[in-house]
Amino acid sequence: METKRFVIIGIAVAILIAIAAPFLASSNPDGLESAFFSIYGAKSFMGSDLDEETAAAAEEEAVAVTGNDFSHEPLIPDYSIPGLDKAGEVLAIVVGTLLMLGLAFAVAKVSTRSGS
Amino acid sequence: MHIPDAFIPIGQALVYWVIALVFVALALRWARRSMGEEKIPLVAVLAAGIFAIQALNIPIPGGTSGHMVGATLAAIVLGSPYAGVFVLTLVLLVQGVIFGDGGITVMGANIINMGVIGGFIGYYGYTAVRRLIENPYAAAFIAGWASLFLSAILCAVELAVAGTFPLVAGLTMMGIYHAIIGLIEGGITAIALYLIASARPDILEHPLGVGA
Repeated sequence: METKRFVIIGIAVAILIAIAAPFLASSNPDGLESAFFSIYGAKSFMGSDLDEETAAAAEEEAVAVTGNDFSHEPLIPDYSIPGLDKAGEVLAIVVGTLLMLGLAFAVAKVSTRSGS
Repeated sequence: MHIPDAFIPIGQALVYWVIALVFVALALRWARRSMGEEKIPLVAVLAAGIFAIQALNIPIPGGTSGHMVGATLAAIVLGSPYAGVFVLTLVLLVQGVIFGDGGITVMGANIINMGVIGGFIGYYGYTAVRRLIENPYAAAFIAGWASLFLSAILCAVELAVAGTFPLVAGLTMMGIYHAIIGLIEGGITAIALYLIASARPDILEHPLGVGA
């Protein structure tokens, strides 16, 4: 397979995953969040019910423990665009994937060139 | 496994940033010295694919989910643990800054956990297992699993030092969840390596048949 074709197929696969992800992805908390919620009593270790109130309180408790209240406003919080539902999530992840492609290409190109 | 800002005190988070930047500098040096220009499109595609697949959370038992990290795949395909650091640093940067996935002050810790541990355990795990097992895909599966599991263990230790998690409960829960999520990491790493090796065996830094 020639390089151009390989790269195009690679990009196509990445974009297909990006489009499918909002429909296929589980909305369960990930391993770290699950451990956090269990430790702070918002969820049992192997239970699927999350107590939203305790979960919100747990997040404040963590700030109290560490004193790290840094926050910034991300451009597209939580991979979703308000009012656009699934279409917004697809758009967010596709944009992220294309941005990633461009950024990695640029940084890789600059990194290899600077020494040669 | 993206740590948010609130989980680690600023002082500790800065220490992780300093350590992470040392590895980022080494990764840039690797790119300058050892990454051929022909690999640039491959790096870009790997970064894009890893970003996309990180959005695909797969459910695991216990009301939890997990997704692939991808550093092991990048390290095996590009033939260096620093490839994992290089690609994951860029992925974590975009996730944190644009999408609020993973904190900013704690990004150093996330780079260490996913990029450095993922890249180093993934790469050296893969080369070590290949001395015992001929099959590169089985080796990639084992290395992927181990890298994800150890990332989670280190993450639990960091959060215990931070005071956010008790040590034993943190290690137990993070260990159990990520022992399962590791199967996702190992599985997708092996499948992706197979697909890349089938399409373009020559593009791999260390051809699979010749030993790693």
